[in-house]
Amino acid sequence: MGVSCVYMYPVPEGRSGAHVVEVLQKQVETIGGVKMGSFVVDCESYLSIMLSVSKTLQILHNTEYPASCFAVLDSGATLVADTLFNGLLSHLKAYYQARKGSKIESKGNRYQLADFVIKIGSVTLSGSFKGILVEVEYCPSVIASECWNLMKELLQSLIGNIAESPPPSLKMKMDEIYTPAMTMLQYLEHFNNFRKAAAVSQPPR
Amino acid sequence: MAAPSVNISVESAIEHQIQEVRYDGQEIYVAPLSMSENLSKLAHKIDFYKDESEEKGKPTSEGEKESDEEKVLAPFQPSLWPWDSVRNKLKAAYTEISVLYDVLNIVKEKHYMVTDPVNQDGPELKAPLQMLAKKRSLVAAAHILSNGAERLKRVQNEMASVTQENFLMELLKLRKNWRLKKVHNTILGELSYKSAGSRFWQGGTFEVLKTSDLAAEGEIVPRKSSLDVIIPSELEGVAYILVEVKSVVSDLMNITSATLKMPSSLGPVSADTYWQLKLETAQNVLFCKELFAQLAREAVQIKKASTPHMVVGNQILTNVFPGVQLSIVLCHHTGKEKKVNLSSEKLEHNHVLEHSLHQLLREVHDRNLKCSAPHPVNAMLGMTRKRRLAGPRAMSRQELMEMGENESLLEQILKQTKHAVLRIRSMHVIDQMAVSIQDPQLCAHWSCLNSSLESSVRVSVTSYGYESIRTSLVLTIGIDLIRVVMKDGRVCTLSFEETELRDLLQWQICQHHTHSIQHLAKVQGWQVLSGIVSSGFGDMEAYGTTSNVLMASPRSNVIVSFHSNPVSGSKLWVKKVEPSIETHHSPAVTANKWASLSGEFQEVNLQLLEGRNLVGKIDMLMARLSLS
Amino acid sequence: METTSLAPSLKNIAPQQEYLLQASILDANRDVLLHRLRGLCDNAESNFETFADYEAVYVLSFLESSAVQQSQAVSFRVRHALDDPEAPDHIRYIGQAELGDRARPTLVRACLDVACSSNVREFLQEMGFKLDYDCVMKGYFFHKGRMKVTVYKIFRLLQPGKTDSSNWEPLSMSHLVELSVVAPLGQEQIGEDMKNFAEQLKPLVVLEKFDHRRLHN
Repeated sequence: MGVSCVYMYPVPEGRSGAHVVEVLQKQVETIGGVKMGSFVVDCESYLSIMLSVSKTLQILHNTEYPASCFAVLDSGATLVADTLFNGLLSHLKAYYQARKGSKIESKGNRYQLADFVIKIGSVTLSGSFKGILVEVEYCPSVIASECWNLMKELLQSLIGNIAESPPPSLKMKMDEIYTPAMTMLQYLEHFNNFRKAAAVSQPPR
Repeated sequence: MAAPSVNISVESAIEHQIQEVRYDGQEIYVAPLSMSENLSKLAHKIDFYKDESEEKGKPTSEGEKESDEEKVLAPFQPSLWPWDSVRNKLKAAYTEISVLYDVLNIVKEKHYMVTDPVNQDGPELKAPLQMLAKKRSLVAAAHILSNGAERLKRVQNEMASVTQENFLMELLKLRKNWRLKKVHNTILGELSYKSAGSRFWQGGTFEVLKTSDLAAEGEIVPRKSSLDVIIPSELEGVAYILVEVKSVVSDLMNITSATLKMPSSLGPVSADTYWQLKLETAQNVLFCKELFAQLAREAVQIKKASTPHMVVGNQILTNVFPGVQLSIVLCHHTGKEKKVNLSSEKLEHNHVLEHSLHQLLREVHDRNLKCSAPHPVNAMLGMTRKRRLAGPRAMSRQELMEMGENESLLEQILKQTKHAVLRIRSMHVIDQMAVSIQDPQLCAHWSCLNSSLESSVRVSVTSYGYESIRTSLVLTIGIDLIRVVMKDGRVCTLSFEETELRDLLQWQICQHHTHSIQHLAKVQGWQVLSGIVSSGFGDMEAYGTTSNVLMASPRSNVIVSFHSNPVSGSKLWVKKVEPSIETHHSPAVTANKWASLSGEFQEVNLQLLEGRNLVGKIDMLMARLSLS
Repeated sequence: METTSLAPSLKNIAPQQEYLLQASILDANRDVLLHRLRGLCDNAESNFETFADYEAVYVLSFLESSAVQQSQAVSFRVRHALDDPEAPDHIRYIGQAELGDRARPTLVRACLDVACSSNVREFLQEMGFKLDYDCVMKGYFFHKGRMKVTVYKIFRLLQPGKTDSSNWEPLSMSHLVELSVVAPLGQEQIGEDMKNFAEQLKPLVVLEKFDHRRLHN
């Protein structure tokens, strides 16, 4: 377990997402990354019904933490639980219902480069490609501020100036002990952005 | 009527007949008969046959009335007036009442007689008679008691002799140590380790028998026990796991050695062994079978090994180190096999490893049974504590995988074997060197506390007479490598090859020499100009590096150079700085001619120097040179 | 390293059911029962395994409390081990007792245990749950195979949420005895095993199945 930073990598106009992913992967392999399996991060939203205040419950999974399930509320409160937590949700059907077509996931290859783990995932929202997320994890450290410069160097060689500053959700917690939940919050933020973008481009019928 | 002195009340004795009197004195009456019941009851009392003949001839006083009545009752009592007896009784009663009335009158009037209450005393009881009676009843009671005691004694005697009772006692003893249950008419026991955590498929059900059943067939055998057990045929005999570590000369594995070898101490169990021993042996057979089955399964499954493990019949062969192989053989001697020539090969059974194997399987059993208690208590059973935390702590895939890994028995025993082999090899090397090298002395201190996978030894190198100068190094012998911590704190890792250890020790001996000489320099006021423990220059040697030291005498007029190499040995050169001092004065230089030889340094023949050992010789030389 | 194969296998949730028998024993007789259980259960050689759990029950229900909707209220029991602060918190969902046939030897109900991080109480409250009641359960734990036996006393908390022992008040003069197995759906054999085990505790305690719905009425 170490510190992770997740960035959105924009797909230039007129280029296919798959192609950009391929270029990124080549790049990682060139600097010495070794492919070590694949990864999936998925997220599903549940909306509260019949409660006085409308609430959203986000359920995330990450293959990197196969035994865990992350539940996030609007305030950012994160509950880390067994994967059995999904079973509890089925008992809450009367109060929280899954929003249709909200299932979003980032899926791709996982590379190991010395102490770094690099993941290049293509994001799909209900089946259609939406963008690219790049995650870089530095395993030996748990304090973000202590390894940020090291990570920045690697990140900039990969994705350029996007990684000028730490991810916004991490900025406040640079000196705290890093937890896997922080990674999930970064993913969730990006997922929400993708969803919003999708909602703007495709006005509800 | 005048008031009488005694009142007498007259009443009928009992209204109803008493059916029973309870112990508490309560009387239970028969319910009074109703009119019709009474009638039929009375009618039943009549003896028809008898009365008929008597009545006929008897002239009745109430003839007319009788005949009337007879007519009425004719349908069921043709010849008898049914109320006859009643009337007779009433009549008699009437007479009695009349008499009673008269008596009462007589008593009451007091003209003729007076009645006085009479004091009625109980019969006088005589003391001797009473005593006699009591005595007799006591004798009777005593008789009953002694009879009972006699019978108990007889039963006790029978218990000791009769097998039936003995059998029960034995059964009780058996029950204390083994699990028994009764199925219909047979008693079945269980000798497998299932209740102790074993998951082996083979069961170990045995049957408990009474020996009297067997002896009934005529043969009278004096038996020690009246209880016998029948163990399943596949668990009969004696078994053990033979563990051998063999050095193979050829690369071919010796498969033929898997023939059964049975040490003479482990003979077959005779039929009339005591049941406890029988059961224990059978249990051991089962345990060995489970152990071997487990090892064989693992040997087939494990694919990681560089050379595959071989399972041939009842033998598992694996390579420990090149040229050394471990063979694990299941020896099961049922007593039915043909005699194998036992003396052909000496058994090199490794008891320690056999014991470790047993221990490992027992640990597996223990793990099967034991699970950490859940906290909070409604957490799932059978998970390790760490696994419970996996979800909430968001453990990574890597951590989870490490958690799931479980080392197999075979791998563990292989590791232990490797360590054992390596330890013995190192021991041999050190011992050999300690014996062959006289100067300096090698001394090994093995720590008595070691695990089955690690042990350590401290080797100290000293020279006789100069024990305060000591080079010591610690060797930690692991599974297939040796870690050496040297005097100066440097750590080096050696492989399992024994020559590496030998080289290292020889190099250390050379270092010891230079160290000792440096030490001497300090004591004698010499100046150490340079000291290199492994110098790169000098002649090319087969192995090892040279240690050398360069010193100047206190007056700085003599310079001594010492080289020590594991292959070419130790060499000493001396150089005089001031040419004015004649070299031949030094006894170390044998002749004047040496002074004019190439270079200024002159080699000293250490062999010819006086002294017990190298350090002593050089000590002596230095002492001489510092004066010159 | 294998790919994602690990994840889906853990995501699949086999419906779990709890088989339960209950009884109670007076405090004075507890030790006799404990020794009996120690003899019957596994790990007899070790000392009694104790536990002290804090349980808080949270209920999620609609604001307008009509009778029909009230029955739909979901309650989660959140447990936390007081004597083992490192252990994770647990959410337990317990379904209604299955009606089934009367001949069933034990109570059978759906059951789901989820270990979770320690911020679960605040999280549930943010989700809209309300604290119903809380208590502390302290007692002993035994196991025999997969059967779990707990002998514990329930303490009421004088001030809700405060878990130090000065705040406890025993609810009764007796201990609750529970024999339970949590197993995947459809393993009816367990009920028989439990019944046989319960037989061996007679007459110290008579473990029975209680219909909790009937207790409420």
